Amino acid sequence: MIQLVWLIPLLPLIGSVINGLFGKRMGKTAVGLVACVAMVASFLISLSIFIKILSLPVAERSVEVTVFNWITSGAFKLDVTFLIDPLSTIMILIVTGVGSLIHIYSIGYMHHDKSFWRFFCYLNLFVFFMLMLVLGANYLVMFLGWEGVGLCSYLLIGFWYEKKSASDAGKKAFVVNRVGDFGFILGLFLLFWSLAGHGITSLSYKEVFANIHHLDPSMLTIITLLLFVGATGKSAQIPLYVWLPDAMEGPTPVSALIHAATMVTAGVYMIARNNLLFSLAPYTGEVVAVVGILTAFFAATMGLVQNDIKKVLAYSTVSQLGYMFTAVGVGAYTAGVFHLMTHAFFKGLMFLGSGSVIHAMGGEQDMRKMGGLHGHMKTTSWTFIIGAIAIAGMPPFSGFWSKDEILWETFEKGHHYIWALGLLTAFLTAFYMFRQVFMTFTGRCRADHHTQHHLHESPKIMTVPLIILAVLAATGGIIGIPFFEEGTAAHHFLNSVFSSGQHVVNHAVAGGGHVANAAGESEAIHGGLELIMMGVSVAVGLFGIFLAALLYYEPMKKFAPSFWTPENLAARFKGLHTLLYNKYYVDEIYDALIINPIKRLCWYCWRFDLGVIDGIVNGAGWVTRLVAWLMHKFDVYIVDGTINSSATFVSWTSSFWRRLQSGYLQNYALVFVIGLLLIIGGALLGW
Amino acid sequence: MTNLLNINYYAVAPELVLIGFAFLVLILDLLLKGRDKAVLGYVTAFGLLVSIPVSYFTNEPVSFSGMVAADSFSAFFNIVFCVAAFLTTLISMDYMKKAKADRGEYYYITLFAVIGMMLMASANDFVNLYAGLELMALSFYVLVAFKINDNKSVEGALKYFVLGALSSGILLYGISFLYGYAGSTNFAEIARAASAGSSQNMFLILGVCLTVAGFAFKVALFPFHLWSPDAYEGAPTPVTALLSVGSKAAAFAVFLRFFAGSLAVLQPHWAMLIWVFSAATMLYGSVVGVSQKNIVRMLAYSSIAHAGIILIGLLVTNDKGSSGVLYYLLVYAFMNIGAFSVITLFVRNNGKGANICDYKGLASKRPWLAFFMALFMVSLAGIPPTGGFTAKFFILASAVNSRYYLLAGIAVVSTVISLFFYAKVIFYMYMKEADDASVFTASPGAALYNVVIVISAVATVLIGIFPSVFMDMAVQAVKPLLM
Amino acid sequence: MMEQVFFYIFSIIAVISAISVISARSAVRSAFYLIITLMQVAAIFILLRSPFLAAVQVFIYVGAVMVLFLFAVMVLDIGREKLVAYMHHQSVIAVPAVIVFFIMGAYMIIRGGWNVSNAGFPEAALAKSSEVIGKEMFGRYLFPFEVVSLVLLIALIGAVALVLRGREKDKQC
Repeated sequence: MIQLVWLIPLLPLIGSVINGLFGKRMGKTAVGLVACVAMVASFLISLSIFIKILSLPVAERSVEVTVFNWITSGAFKLDVTFLIDPLSTIMILIVTGVGSLIHIYSIGYMHHDKSFWRFFCYLNLFVFFMLMLVLGANYLVMFLGWEGVGLCSYLLIGFWYEKKSASDAGKKAFVVNRVGDFGFILGLFLLFWSLAGHGITSLSYKEVFANIHHLDPSMLTIITLLLFVGATGKSAQIPLYVWLPDAMEGPTPVSALIHAATMVTAGVYMIARNNLLFSLAPYTGEVVAVVGILTAFFAATMGLVQNDIKKVLAYSTVSQLGYMFTAVGVGAYTAGVFHLMTHAFFKGLMFLGSGSVIHAMGGEQDMRKMGGLHGHMKTTSWTFIIGAIAIAGMPPFSGFWSKDEILWETFEKGHHYIWALGLLTAFLTAFYMFRQVFMTFTGRCRADHHTQHHLHESPKIMTVPLIILAVLAATGGIIGIPFFEEGTAAHHFLNSVFSSGQHVVNHAVAGGGHVANAAGESEAIHGGLELIMMGVSVAVGLFGIFLAALLYYEPMKKFAPSFWTPENLAARFKGLHTLLYNKYYVDEIYDALIINPIKRLCWYCWRFDLGVIDGIVNGAGWVTRLVAWLMHKFDVYIVDGTINSSATFVSWTSSFWRRLQSGYLQNYALVFVIGLLLIIGGALLGW
Repeated sequence: MTNLLNINYYAVAPELVLIGFAFLVLILDLLLKGRDKAVLGYVTAFGLLVSIPVSYFTNEPVSFSGMVAADSFSAFFNIVFCVAAFLTTLISMDYMKKAKADRGEYYYITLFAVIGMMLMASANDFVNLYAGLELMALSFYVLVAFKINDNKSVEGALKYFVLGALSSGILLYGISFLYGYAGSTNFAEIARAASAGSSQNMFLILGVCLTVAGFAFKVALFPFHLWSPDAYEGAPTPVTALLSVGSKAAAFAVFLRFFAGSLAVLQPHWAMLIWVFSAATMLYGSVVGVSQKNIVRMLAYSSIAHAGIILIGLLVTNDKGSSGVLYYLLVYAFMNIGAFSVITLFVRNNGKGANICDYKGLASKRPWLAFFMALFMVSLAGIPPTGGFTAKFFILASAVNSRYYLLAGIAVVSTVISLFFYAKVIFYMYMKEADDASVFTASPGAALYNVVIVISAVATVLIGIFPSVFMDMAVQAVKPLLM
Repeated sequence: MMEQVFFYIFSIIAVISAISVISARSAVRSAFYLIITLMQVAAIFILLRSPFLAAVQVFIYVGAVMVLFLFAVMVLDIGREKLVAYMHHQSVIAVPAVIVFFIMGAYMIIRGGWNVSNAGFPEAALAKSSEVIGKEMFGRYLFPFEVVSLVLLIALIGAVALVLRGREKDKQC
């Protein structure tokens, strides 16, 4: 079964090719069917591989499947090889599973779009690249996927390219990602270069990890920092997160699949995959954790005041990604991947739910014009609320287990400030999520009459995926519940992947004398503390929901103190509100600090270009053209022409004016003979 | 006597199949009237298809008293010839109608040309080789002149014919010296004499020089290339495609069998000669290509440049270099025929569609065709993930491995220069608006073009993505040479 | 010794008449010079113990090909001037080039070692040269011999295809 892994990315690729080539003529049903069948089949294969992996003993759970050998030249070998291990299995399950649901949902959502086939072509192509990214057993395949998902993301954000904001957002995403990718590729080059110094030319994870100890820590720190720069670009972390909120210009299923569930988690996956490298570079780990928690916090504050239903979700995505980075930064890789999974469920769900809302509202995205939708669309509303509870971290929904695990691990590993900020973020998350729920689904409908009249629940093809995702969001935390002695099911499953990195960390901790307080204490106190922590985070979450309810839930409003209304608060903290509403002016700051100077620099460069570079380029071009011209003239003049001119000479002397026009053929023959002379002459002189 | 003769029909089975089909087409041409003649092209294509598996399974010991070496090497080339001819036959059916030169002779002369190439690829003796070469050359003279009412066609054919005759004379002269040196025209005998005797024998040197000139003409190496732009431009476009792929590949087959195979011992002595040829040819082809306005002439110079690069693989007389040559020729067959098919689709009798600027705005009118054309250009330029890239990669890697750094550097420079004119085509297709979209209207027989274009495109990409499969074939094919 | 004297006589005449072929002003005249050249080659074949080849040379080239050629020249009426017009343009380069070529060739031929004599056939066998040729042609060189039949066929077809059919089309147009 595992040998069939190549089918998993191949099927979406085939789907994409079919839709791309024939989609225009095939009709919408057929297009959707092709795309979804490819995805579901891919998911089923992934599932069977997962089952197979579970049945194997722990030591044998990492399997490399070489699909084909791309180029072999001497010692240098490039294979397209897939790596099946617990980490990649979880990732393919998420990608194909959530991907299938979103594909099915898209059939309904995109039904009126004229470029239906193009959408599914891109979407399938995206899934293909994403699967390459997570399945690749060497850095090259991963990089191929990494670049490919970036391309598809760009294509899909700008899907409605007639809209200027959409194509601008696409461009922004592309440019920002390019900055990150630059760091990433630099890191990869540095890694290969420094490993090549030790005689290792392979690009496969296995070889690299086996030989990583040759590198000295400072080099590793630089490499991992550069890789992390790539991750901040792809996964929208400070300072490169600015593209993600804008990316909401794309169709909502795209936001759900790419900008919530899968692609943006690529950075987390990459760090988890390279856990050994990051564990060996503790400084980078600190940086990752701090950047992660700061992103989580600031994104959450920005989410507090957004009015666009998708923007709120976008900031919450950035914020949740921050949690994941915090987790992998402190070395809690399992917790990070676990949160990645639960996040894929509940954030995918919420995006699709918001899509359903937008669908019903006829394209309206402003929450101030919504309200009271619960009555009109029961399924969407209930599933959305489940998602909100999950993200707010209420037990027993999935978000609780994963978020709590991250917070607990940060606390346990001694990062108390990070933990505190994380807790605060959890509070904010609960607040703004329920603000959204209350504003959208409860109260009086603020939409205009026309829209109200057309409010309707979405078709089955959209609601069924919602329900499935809601079930997953509610129950997906099971594998994070500590049933086992040695940890949760997730730990148990993923342990083999992260053990080497974990080992390094523990070793360093023990050796460095930096004894974590949790390590020495007894299990009982340990367990007790964990329970207390759980209680604290639940309480904080509940408090956030409560405050949100006081502000935005009609029946609760009367219990609120007089100053506790949105308007009053906005007026009282006017400065703060404006700051948050304008997202800390980060875009403006970037504009002022980076983009405008670059533009100005470009302008200068352009001027410079005109003067100097163009001169050089033109000069070089001119030289090339001159040489081309000369060579061309070689044909015309030296070949025919010299002969012509010598013929002219002869003609002049012998006054055969009429015969100036020498036929070409004789000249050709003459050149032939001269060439022959040169060969033989060269041979005589001894080549 | 029969033992000595060593007649083995299996060794020439692909040739026999094609001869059978050639006569079948010839007879059908006589019997069929009017519109029924359309079937001739299909019969020809079918014959070529049949010949592919036959070639694949032909692997016999040297037979016909040492004349024919039907080994895996010739099998590889035979397949390349058949595929190339198959594709060009498909596109020529409509083209010939368009050019008002739709006559049955075209098809069986094509078959005879392919037979000639096959004979060259399997020749193990100069006499046999020469017979095959003449068969191919004569067929091509006729094919190039096939648009008999078109002055350019006739002019190109005449130049090709006269210079071809000259090169044949030179080749024969060279063969006679080699015979004088070794006492035999057999490759194996010459190889034996060369490894036993002195390498400084003047007869050997003169013979090698003259035969090289003869083959260099067929490959169109600088300065023996002068016929090719004229003949390419004048010939019916499908013929140009076959000429640039088939005739070149056949001459390379001989080059490889004789130089990399039989004269491998003397490599240090002829290396410099080939080195200079290679460097001069690729630089000349790419530089002059820049100033071309006619797309067929541009491709003619591009094919000269490619020949220069392929020659590097010949210079590196080991399995890497030789298999690189085979691989390159395979890729070249597909990408070149693909490009020519697009041109054939658009080219008109009045010269419309023959200039690069006629392709302005193709992308907006016929996006798929533009895409495929761009793909072929990208592949010809040698950019991944196409076959053109891997082919260049293998050749250059083999050159670097054998320490021909300077030559590899020149190859890279020439590739960069040639990028300019390939990019020009893409630029015109995508960045400009069409002034006259009437060029892009498809002719009724467009379906066949599409088949050929798609086959070529898929093959180009496939070979680029799965190079090892084809490389293994090439490595298998060159094994008998390097024993 | 005597043989060598004759060889030089024949070959000098052959070379001179060959040069005359390309420098003669009238096509008919060049054709006659060509006949002389071919006759000399036939004579050299006899010196090389190959009477059969000599006879073939005379019959086919002198008898058949050249007669045909002369007919063509006369029928087509290729004027004097035209032929000359095409000849002289590049003699400034061509003549030295050819001379250098022959000098180098001659040097190499003189320096080179001739490893083969009589193609490995004893003197006695050569007396019956037609038999030797026949055996070789249908023995060792059977395959190329068969291929040559294809070459002839294609030459035939090609001529028909280009000339006859081309004219038909002309009429239609």
